[in-house]
Amino acid sequence: MAIEPKLSHTAAMILQAIHCGCVYGYNVMETTGLPSGTVYPALRRLEQDGLIRSQWERQSVADAGQRPPRKYYKLTRSGRVILEASQKRYPLLAKLVSPEVE
Amino acid sequence: MIIRRWVDSSCLDYAILRLAALLVPRRERQEWFAEWKAELWYVLRGCNGGAHTSCLNREALRFCLGAFRDALWLRRNCSTPNSRPLLWLQSPLQCIGFLAVVAAVAVFFFFHSGARDTILAAELVHPEFIFPYLLMIVIALAILPATTSLGLGEYPTPPDSPARARRFRRWIFLGIKFALILPIVSCGTLDLAPILSATGLQPQAILVGYVLAFRWVLVDQRRRCPVCLRLLTNPARIGQASQTFLEWYGTEFLCVKGHGLLHVPEIPTTYSTQRWLDLDPSWGSLFS
Repeated sequence: MAIEPKLSHTAAMILQAIHCGCVYGYNVMETTGLPSGTVYPALRRLEQDGLIRSQWERQSVADAGQRPPRKYYKLTRSGRVILEASQKRYPLLAKLVSPEVE
Repeated sequence: MIIRRWVDSSCLDYAILRLAALLVPRRERQEWFAEWKAELWYVLRGCNGGAHTSCLNREALRFCLGAFRDALWLRRNCSTPNSRPLLWLQSPLQCIGFLAVVAAVAVFFFFHSGARDTILAAELVHPEFIFPYLLMIVIALAILPATTSLGLGEYPTPPDSPARARRFRRWIFLGIKFALILPIVSCGTLDLAPILSATGLQPQAILVGYVLAFRWVLVDQRRRCPVCLRLLTNPARIGQASQTFLEWYGTEFLCVKGHGLLHVPEIPTTYSTQRWLDLDPSWGSLFS
């Protein structure tokens, strides 16, 4: 039997937020209600574990929007698999962090 | 007025981020600061849209204070591959030599500054003057377990090796370090007495100095090869931080002379402390 990796509830919430379209740190903070001192280290840990990956926005795109370039986060394939397992483990996760409505 | 207050608060926010950035490893610093600066821009933009500027600026300040936690996390978890320890502390002789030089400098300044005369004068008036210093050492030793583990790790003793001599050498080295640290802290704080007494923090400074020094001695001892007593290098992370259940998670260090590997758990517990793994001589060709 394969050992199912288990995420903490906070890490699962952050993964769910990214899955729902919160693609940069402050956006994740706003959606989850978690403080910056929790969200950013968790993002780095998740990235180190290969569950998410980050990419800087192109400068030209940011310049066009007259704002600084954002660092975007995206789920990897293994991140998606782990999130599905976490959703089973934490059934209220989808209700706590629902898809972003722009 | 409101604009000026906004500019002041954003300057403070950036200053906090700059300060936190100092904790981040150098090679990560630029990108780290760029990310936090960009994120702060969004926080401040959100603040400007609100009615209660002071309340929202507090939100930006709270956001920036979180940067310290992030910076500390990076400092702790992003070890530079193939990083080498400080040259003057690497071998046991270099370490003892360095401590001896620092101790000699501290003692020299003690005898050639007004600190010695002050102490002698105080000793004449109050012969029990030395007791507060001894008390400080005792208090520092009592506080020490709260700052770091007192254990020096598990070292298996192979039957065919001179294990007793090895252990004896380790304890001698530890004792010498403690013996050299005492004059460094004692004379160092007395040398700095004019500055410290002006701030009224001299007793606290001595106590903090002893605790930090004793802590360093123990941490340094745990990061050394039990065979050659050189500092271990090449830290490599093993396991995944977010998946701590059922998996070992920590850092592996290597002795450059090929004596063995040290496994340090990320979260030390009573049943999982750092463990040393001896490598037999057949591994020698990899390290020569």
